Amino acid sequence: MAHNFKNDVTVDWCPGCGDFGILTSITQALAELNLNGNDVVAISGIGCSGKTPHYLNMGGVHTLHGRSIPFATGVKLANPNLKVIVPSGDGDMLGIGAGHFVAEGRRNTGLTLIIYDNEVYGLTKGQAAPTMQLGEQTKSLARPNVFGKVNPITLALSSGYSFVARGFSFDMKQLKDLIKMAVMHEGSAVIDVLQPCPTYNNVNTMEWYRQRVYKLEEEDKNWDPVITPGNENQAEEKFQKAYTKGMEWGDRIPTGVFYDNRTIPSFTKRLNEFVPNYLDYPPSQQIVTGKDGYTPVDPYGTFAEKLI
Amino acid sequence: MDLNVAIGGPQGGGIDTSSNMINRAFAEAGYNVFGVREYHSNIKGRHSYNHLRVNEERPRSLRYPVDIIVALDADTIFEHLEDVGPGTKIIYDRSFESSDLAQARMIMRDTARRIKETLDGAKFPNTVKGAVDYMKSRGGIPMPIPFNDVVASANAEGPAARYFNTLGSAVTLSIAGLDQKFTIEAIKQVFSNKEKVVAENVRVVEAAYRYASENGLAGKPLKTLQKKKRFLITGNDGSAIGKLMGGLRLQTYYPITPASDESTILEEHEEYSFIEGEKNRLKRGGVVVVQTEDEISAVTMAQGAALTGTRASTATSGPGFSLMAEGIGFAGMDEVPIVVTLYQRGGPSTGLPTRNGQSDLLFALNTGHGEFPRIVLSSGDVEECIYDAMKALNYAQRYQLPVIHLIDKNLANTTDMIPDIDTKRVPVPQTLKTVPSSDFHRYSLKTETGISEMGILGKDIFWMTGDEHDELGHVTEDTEMRDSQMRKRFKKLETALQEIPINDQAILYGPDKADITFVTWGSQKGPILDVMEDLKKEGISANLLYLKMFLPFPSEFVKKVLGKAKLIIDVESNMLAQAAMVIKLNTGISIEKSILKYNGRHMTEDEILKAAKDIYSGKSKNEIEVLQNGA
Ligand SMILES: Cc1ncc(C[n+]2csc(CCOP(=O)(O)OP(=O)(O)O)c2C)c(N)n1
Ligand code: SF4
Ligand SMILES: [Mg+2]
Repeated sequence: MAHNFKNDVTVDWCPGCGDFGILTSITQALAELNLNGNDVVAISGIGCSGKTPHYLNMGGVHTLHGRSIPFATGVKLANPNLKVIVPSGDGDMLGIGAGHFVAEGRRNTGLTLIIYDNEVYGLTKGQAAPTMQLGEQTKSLARPNVFGKVNPITLALSSGYSFVARGFSFDMKQLKDLIKMAVMHEGSAVIDVLQPCPTYNNVNTMEWYRQRVYKLEEEDKNWDPVITPGNENQAEEKFQKAYTKGMEWGDRIPTGVFYDNRTIPSFTKRLNEFVPNYLDYPPSQQIVTGKDGYTPVDPYGTFAEKLI
Repeated sequence: MDLNVAIGGPQGGGIDTSSNMINRAFAEAGYNVFGVREYHSNIKGRHSYNHLRVNEERPRSLRYPVDIIVALDADTIFEHLEDVGPGTKIIYDRSFESSDLAQARMIMRDTARRIKETLDGAKFPNTVKGAVDYMKSRGGIPMPIPFNDVVASANAEGPAARYFNTLGSAVTLSIAGLDQKFTIEAIKQVFSNKEKVVAENVRVVEAAYRYASENGLAGKPLKTLQKKKRFLITGNDGSAIGKLMGGLRLQTYYPITPASDESTILEEHEEYSFIEGEKNRLKRGGVVVVQTEDEISAVTMAQGAALTGTRASTATSGPGFSLMAEGIGFAGMDEVPIVVTLYQRGGPSTGLPTRNGQSDLLFALNTGHGEFPRIVLSSGDVEECIYDAMKALNYAQRYQLPVIHLIDKNLANTTDMIPDIDTKRVPVPQTLKTVPSSDFHRYSLKTETGISEMGILGKDIFWMTGDEHDELGHVTEDTEMRDSQMRKRFKKLETALQEIPINDQAILYGPDKADITFVTWGSQKGPILDVMEDLKKEGISANLLYLKMFLPFPSEFVKKVLGKAKLIIDVESNMLAQAAMVIKLNTGISIEKSILKYNGRHMTEDEILKAAKDIYSGKSKNEIEVLQNGA
């Protein structure tokens, strides 16, 4: 029987919160992928979003604000066999953790980043998140937002992520499919999830989004963001298309897969070229004890050049 | 033989190569060399030098005045004005003599001002010639050598300056009386048998030896000792070797002096080899080294790896360690086994980026907000770096907490000759789980020791959170669970204090009762042990309370030792006598006298000896003697 990814921990998000839809999409996606509870882990940061791992029946680490990405990278590097999903806030990943977000694009370790994009800092009572539009005023702001917004899609593209998508927490079917694709993608994937926060964001509400979202592949029957091995020459054009679509915001908001480049080797593959036997015998599987209970490592052989 | 040498030149000018030649040449003749590298935070041009000591026995400290100064540039003469004494031989290029202090732009402005004051005060001109004459007035023996002519006589290809380091080393070795064949052997090793380079440099060596003997500089032949195989390594190397032996399989780092060398060394040895009999049993594997985007990432990425059952660590220095504070707190709260090797340099802020310091002790004990258990241990010599790195990884696994391993910059950049590396000194217990735990409670309170079973991502289903948590690892704010989990975490420190052998916590060197009881930690261990012998010769007995573990703290042992002490002198490389503060906090014992140094330079035997005698004799009434040696 398929593993049940939902557990019985009480969920304490506000009624009507978009986070519920993301949680359900995650559990369905993992179940449909026929994964087991020990095949996949969730590593989150801090925020309303950061509580997600506690609601999942699988290994879950609710880390520090902004640091979900490096924690998750460590897990994946030490055990590349694990699927690692990172459900975290927009403040978490694009504000305090923005440096890690950019660095992970360059690494392409093989993580699934799910950005809970509610344009606010939910858990600290509604301050502006880095994703909020300049001049927007949600209900807990004393005056309109004085900062410009960071665009998760174009930032992800420029940072080098090899899979970039957008979902909407109230379209769970699409979101579930995006998560499945992202989890199976070899490199690092970003899914920007439009997530209404009914408690603090009275501007970008569920209705507001419903009126604006459309699907890239429905709008353009020829939309094909995928670059497969052998077709590396398509990368530039598809990247530019993705970028242009990524800029679109306002009356119409595109969702779906913007970019899916399967030709960029993951960090784990790159490491495998240098670290002997890395993928076969990664750090987490290595036996570090010799048969007598002492080290099996020979300092004389390993550091021979230091012998005089 | 007991020879102290300072060999200096511009940063990037081959000083390390020179020292390497000297080290290897003496090693070939069976001698031991111990050295420390001093350098500016600069890539090219500013003064850098190596301070070396050569002896039949393994030296463990350095001394001023030196016996030989080798100046590969004019600045070296100015910078080391005060490091000469009666009989110090000063080797330099004759062409430096006309160099003017005012033109020495790479000397720090205040240093130049002080040199000028010294020379003016003693009525010597502000030139290298004046400086050499000043040194001569203090007993130094100038040995100007026409560097260019000697190189020219060797017919070596390329600009003469390329060979100055070989020349300087060869002259030094000739003055020391070392047979030329050893020097040539060293050249072969240093240039890893690159035939042409070796040939050119060998000719320079021969020319240098020829010049020295024709001009009466060559020393009387040194006796050749039995040569034994040894490791020529630094503190950085030691820690890297220990980590690899101790099962480290993932290291993260963000570049910073003096820590990154450790990670570079690990990366260079990402493929390790097995001891006899293991090759057939174990699969070929490697260690993963990751250069991260910052130290926050370094400390958290290492933890991610640790959660999969991997022995993981990171290495950093003050500024990076400051950034790690929150992450270390997570490891404490969530019981994640990680090792943070903290290479201490002069702080605060960017401070003295390439200089020594021991001012992070209190910070290491208190890094991060809130209260959580950690182990803080410190090494005092290159060998200790090896075995302590192994122990640190073991402690992290056994007690599931962050272990902070303190190594000071001086030790990181100390070069030592280690007779052997004992693979059987520190056991490496296997912690890898093969069977998942059913009904797993990661933070189970059913434990006497405070230690609960470790969870492995990929094997067990469990949860973790930096919030206070229940036994399953879910968020809780329940008052009783909070109290229980706090007590569980801290219980591990009591367990550690009981389980860790006292010798790994603190050591008493010397007699039980003594006229002077020194207290120290880190790289002053060696110099103080030498000072104890010097004092003995003068009829003063001394012992040393050497601290290795600061958390948990061996209060009982320290109380016992200090309770018997007549005169306690605390010796540290910081301004606030931090170890003495820790002792006071844990035992109530106040230490009245301290010898402290915070100018960033290594402590030397002579300066500690003088300060200790001044305190002992009552000549100095100061509570604190501040040491100032070092260019
Ligand atoms: C270092 C640090 N600074 C500040 C906080 C306080 N804090 C908790 S949640 C949060 C914002 C969360 O916003 P976001 O990441 O967007 O998540 P959301 O709650 O919206 O899901 C902040 C600032 C913290 N936990 N840690
Ligand atoms: S504050 Fe907003 S994001 Fe947080 S749980 Fe409530 S509705 Fe959801
Ligand atoms: Mg948010």
